[in-house]
Amino acid sequence: MLPKTLPLIEKYRVKKFSDIRGQDIAIQEVINFYKRFPMKKALILNGPVGTGKTSLVIALANEFNLELFELNASDLRNRLKLEEVLRPSIEQHSLFRKGKLILMDEADGITGTDRGGLPELIALIDKTSHPIIITANDIWDRKFNLLRKRCHLVSVNELTDKVILNIIKDILKKENKSLRPETIIMISVLAKGDVRAALNDLQTAISLGEQAFLEELSEREKEESIFNALKNVFQNKTEEKTIRVYDNTKLELDEILLWVEENIPSEYKGEALAKAYDSLSKADVFRGRIYRQQYWRFLLYQNFFLSAGISTATKLKYKKFTKYRKPSRILKIWLSNQKNAKKKSIIAKYSQRCHISKRKANKEAFLFPLIIDREANKRLDLDEKETEWLKERKHDMIMSNNLNRFA
Amino acid sequence: MELKELKERQLKKANELTIWTEKYRPKKFEGVVGQDDIIKKVQNLTKSLNIPHMMFAGPAGTGKSTLALIVVKELFGPTWKENYLELNASDERGIDVVRQKVKDFARTKALGDVPFKVIFLDEADALTREAQQALRRTMENFTGTCRFILSCNYSSKIIDPIQSRTAIFRFKLLERKDIERIIKKIAESENLQISDKTIETLYEGSEGDCRRVINLLQASASISPAITSELVSTLISSAKPADIKIVLEYALSGDFERAKEKLLDVMLKESVSGTDIIKSIQKEVWNLQIDDELKVKLTEKTGEIEFRLVEGSDEFIQLEALLASFVLAGKGIVK
Repeated sequence: MLPKTLPLIEKYRVKKFSDIRGQDIAIQEVINFYKRFPMKKALILNGPVGTGKTSLVIALANEFNLELFELNASDLRNRLKLEEVLRPSIEQHSLFRKGKLILMDEADGITGTDRGGLPELIALIDKTSHPIIITANDIWDRKFNLLRKRCHLVSVNELTDKVILNIIKDILKKENKSLRPETIIMISVLAKGDVRAALNDLQTAISLGEQAFLEELSEREKEESIFNALKNVFQNKTEEKTIRVYDNTKLELDEILLWVEENIPSEYKGEALAKAYDSLSKADVFRGRIYRQQYWRFLLYQNFFLSAGISTATKLKYKKFTKYRKPSRILKIWLSNQKNAKKKSIIAKYSQRCHISKRKANKEAFLFPLIIDREANKRLDLDEKETEWLKERKHDMIMSNNLNRFA
Repeated sequence: MELKELKERQLKKANELTIWTEKYRPKKFEGVVGQDDIIKKVQNLTKSLNIPHMMFAGPAGTGKSTLALIVVKELFGPTWKENYLELNASDERGIDVVRQKVKDFARTKALGDVPFKVIFLDEADALTREAQQALRRTMENFTGTCRFILSCNYSSKIIDPIQSRTAIFRFKLLERKDIERIIKKIAESENLQISDKTIETLYEGSEGDCRRVINLLQASASISPAITSELVSTLISSAKPADIKIVLEYALSGDFERAKEKLLDVMLKESVSGTDIIKSIQKEVWNLQIDDELKVKLTEKTGEIEFRLVEGSDEFIQLEALLASFVLAGKGIVK
């Protein structure tokens, strides 16, 4: 029996072809490839994440009793490394007299620091005496042109909701757990063809409890929807539907404004940055007009500058992975208000005692830490927190201005 | 005097330490520095036990509140607290304050020999026009039971009907010799060692505001009884809020993220409003060591953003847009 703590995704990892659902054609192709080797020396499994590409390879190794040699994105894959690791395994026969299968997992990850990795892989394909299988999410990327020509290409399709639903039901039965039918359906739909995502959600639902899981889902849904909208605005070409990108997000336009604000600098630089902020500023002007005049049609313009305005800030659009950040400013303001609250209450007490307005007292407040000593403290009737605040500020002030040199 | 000895003496004084602006606030007419003519007139009025409504106009820290306090203490003696209401118009500037607090207090009869109470309305120029109109009626209706002393920085911000109902006294900015007198008096009583140069620095840093001088003096004394001019100027420069210059330099050197971060930091730490920030940006731009043509360009941007700031709803977004345009215009001109 496997330990309970093992994640579902590991516990129910595919071992045989019969464990794989909904990929009958792909299974057949993989078997054919292996049987016909070395007619084609390498096979590419191309398809979205979580559809079972790696599982297909593992199952193949198990079914035909092959020793699996795997390299994935976590390994460095530059030319030298590939040569060093792969060559011996390609040229030698397996220790246990088994056949060998080489898996180059997540080939999309071969980039930048993996200099020379792809040419070396191609050179190896020409020489190999063992079948090589490469998995990728987007094999049509230009950098794979040469590689593609040398390989047999198999598409691994997204799984349908129904297949995922059945997988979940099976696992629940084996785990002896139950969930409400709506939750199961929700998990399978949200997975969007990704079994791994589905199993992770299932795990959460089982361990957190259904209610907590649903709450987390709605939060994630919000984030996902704004992530997609931002990606669209920042990275896609501006088109007719650009002005509708925020329609499906579950956030208010005012909140979206903050999301855009937070993330402009990580997407745009220079001229695009200035243009995007100009657009954001115009969106905010319309927001101000809505508040003051209660003329809600201005929302249209606020939305326009937030979508098309930001999108057209640059024509040089390119896709890259950006982890969009949650708006942080509101939190910072809140935190600072908490801090300033003590200062404000001290100012209030001081202004009463010293016959001046709070506004004037605020101007003198920078000297308070040095002026308000123990005695004055008593007279002003400061509480512990206020006293503590003064002490900290005094320390800061002395340190940051190096005042001790005068003592 | 030896530093050690000074410190010991200061320690002995520790028990009576408090806030010096209060401790050294003059209790008698004779103690007020630098406003001789006004003091003489107000003293005579007070002696007659009948004062008119008065308006004290003048810069901050020249003795307006102090004089008002002396007047009521002279008038009422030990019962002054019952017969005196002090309001800060800049804190409570709505019409409701005049209608309620002022009326409630003015309505009831005074205790003791003097037939009226005194309301001191500090910073009356901060009152809205509506509040001032309401105040004007109140002043007339309750003249029998209540006298007003208004203080303001600019008498022009007070509506004419109120001005015509008050005796106006214009306070002068304190001169160097006045400030020096105050400093020397405190230095003697607190056992401080102060050079002429230090006095000069204190005077320059205070711009004639007596309150600021005394606060600076006390803050300095808390560090050392031998007060050097460097210590004073260090304290003064720590007061300069908004390091707007640094924000601008980040922006013009092309570092948008740091400019933005610093800006937010300044705004939150000093609780400065966006309008104040843009004012200092507008001033600071002209002082930058950059091409004049660029200054004009940046100022034009600043003006546009100030306009949008008034129209818009989120000050920080507007300022960010300004910084982004500076980043572009500056093209890393400041290294």
